[in-house]
Amino acid sequence: MHLNEMEGKRKILVLCGGKFALGALQKLAYEHYLCGVGIGQGQESVVKTLETAASTSQLPFKHFKDKKSIAELDEWIRSIQPDFIFSISFPFLIPSEVLAYGEKKFLNLHLGPLPAYRGPMPIFEVIRYQEKETAIAVHYINDAFDEGELIFNDFIAINPTDTFGKVATKLSAKAAQVAINLANMLEYATSIPSSAQDENEARYFEFPEEEDTFINWKNMSASEIVSLINACNPWNTGADCLINNSHMKLLSATVSEETHSAIPGTVLSYKDNGKIKIACMDNRCLLVETLSCDWGIVTSEQYVKFLET
Amino acid sequence: MQTIGILLPRSTYYETIGFDLFNGLKNNLNETGNDSIRVVTENIGFGSEKQQCYRSAEKLLLEENASIVIAYIGQRGAQLLRPLFLAMNRLLIVVDAGANLPHEADYCPNILYHSFHNSLGAWLSSKMAIADGKKTAGMITGYYDGGYLHTLATTEGFIQNGGEIKFNVATGFKSDTFSMDDLIPHLQNYPGSALLTLFSGDFVQWYFKELIRIFGVGNTAVYLSPFGMEEQMLADAPFPGETTKGVVTWSRQLDSEKNRHFIQTIETNTNKTPTLFSLMGWEAGLLVDKIFRLQSELGIKEITPELLNAIEFESPRGTVKLYPKINTTYAPMYNATVISTENNTCQLRIDGTIESIPAHLDELTSIPLNDVETAWYNSYVCI
Repeated sequence: MHLNEMEGKRKILVLCGGKFALGALQKLAYEHYLCGVGIGQGQESVVKTLETAASTSQLPFKHFKDKKSIAELDEWIRSIQPDFIFSISFPFLIPSEVLAYGEKKFLNLHLGPLPAYRGPMPIFEVIRYQEKETAIAVHYINDAFDEGELIFNDFIAINPTDTFGKVATKLSAKAAQVAINLANMLEYATSIPSSAQDENEARYFEFPEEEDTFINWKNMSASEIVSLINACNPWNTGADCLINNSHMKLLSATVSEETHSAIPGTVLSYKDNGKIKIACMDNRCLLVETLSCDWGIVTSEQYVKFLET
Repeated sequence: MQTIGILLPRSTYYETIGFDLFNGLKNNLNETGNDSIRVVTENIGFGSEKQQCYRSAEKLLLEENASIVIAYIGQRGAQLLRPLFLAMNRLLIVVDAGANLPHEADYCPNILYHSFHNSLGAWLSSKMAIADGKKTAGMITGYYDGGYLHTLATTEGFIQNGGEIKFNVATGFKSDTFSMDDLIPHLQNYPGSALLTLFSGDFVQWYFKELIRIFGVGNTAVYLSPFGMEEQMLADAPFPGETTKGVVTWSRQLDSEKNRHFIQTIETNTNKTPTLFSLMGWEAGLLVDKIFRLQSELGIKEITPELLNAIEFESPRGTVKLYPKINTTYAPMYNATVISTENNTCQLRIDGTIESIPAHLDELTSIPLNDVETAWYNSYVCI
């Protein structure tokens, strides 16, 4: 018998996608809500860590390696009989037959504000679109991605220099707090306030493709380019671009207050205080600090030295 | 008709805390022409029972349709209620003793902390000790008061300004285990050290008795936080000497028309002496009035960051404004010294005003938390 059964607490099973959910799992376990952990795909090291931790805590654990293995989800959930199932960056859509386990028993902690940022990679989108804040959105799961009734958006600020990795780290800590707050809410509430998402405000973003991560010198302002660069760091190793017909990825850059009248995308200087200066369409200049090219991840200064040798 | 709710706590050493909060609120609403506002109360005990706290707030929102809920709770209690207020998009005003560090709680647009800033007062009190030339100090607290992170404000306020904490003394929980004998060797080793003190309620009286018993009157340099200088408790405490001082949020001694009016109104209408908690309730009324007026001016029903940012009102302790980074209100604070009454008990003398509170809050909220958090769920002084 688990501690949560002994205490009469709600039993919460967590379906996650990797290390992002570790903080939430720890908090839920500490408060004796956690009754099982499932991971979809996930890095081998994270899967092993979770499996060991679950085994030590005598919690059921299951790894869903691929979409096909989701066929085992229904039986696994029914064997554990949780009161609620939390999805925290779980990569697979939960099939209707699994959702039939119970109405309003499946809740998703979505990593962006809803309904404006539906889709698998909202962190990329909110940074790319220069939002000043993002959120963990808590909603019931239905048979479409991110469309179930919304309970709340819990917001955090995005700083202009935040990269995808930085925002993901902040959201991971936030998700831990939201998960425990939500568990407490489910434990003590007589009813959970929720409402249908406003479809007029809804947007769905597919997983970004190369055209989304590519810098378009003709159409993008310098600050939009910096945001795209931050949105692609580190998961895409930077924003894709062509500089003098060479493909590379920019990992960090800032906007210079200097103006110019060159064609957007033109390299104005390779040695501007150790940075590569590129003309942008709003007459501002982009100062590239770090980039990824065939030689590896290098500073602009190192890149120029390679060019010269 | 607007409805607001208030979650009322209980405390064994501030027996009238719920009464004071409610009467402060009601008297102010009557003052500001808001007597048509329906006020619904719910009791939350010591604030440590999560279910009682959550269900009470839920009842006020779902059954009573309260547009604003006022609650004397701590940050952990507020965290418990956070999803409910986010989901309902209503405002929770936490009337807060401020025993936690203000940045322990994440910013939430639906939670406004109306704080009496005990941590900030402790921080400023430690800086006062430095200004008095103290180079070494010890932190003196107890099993209960030591469980809140105003402890970190106290020590960091001294260390970051060049002092050294040489010892810590923590007492037991009950009067028969309360002793300051452990202080003797420390003051022998570090004579003249500042005693940076965190006590509240009865503990202040026991503390002063012990200092007088062991060291005599006026032989210890004691620096107190606002709840250590709460006048209701000081009135029954033996006088330990004018070497006892600190920082207060409010005092009956503040010389202003608003303060005199507040004191007179509470005394006349309730036949009781106003307390810090009467003032919290009174100011909660001023906040509610301001928020409803701003909503009416802006033609909105929601609570927005812009609306909260526009909050500013005159209170018995000075001008109250918002520190938007963490949605907490602030007002001037005051340097004070404990002086003797004719009966050899304690009262306060106000020595000066501390302005620039936002700058001090900037400093305080820069203290790294390093994942430490308070052990206590209950509202401060509610034991």
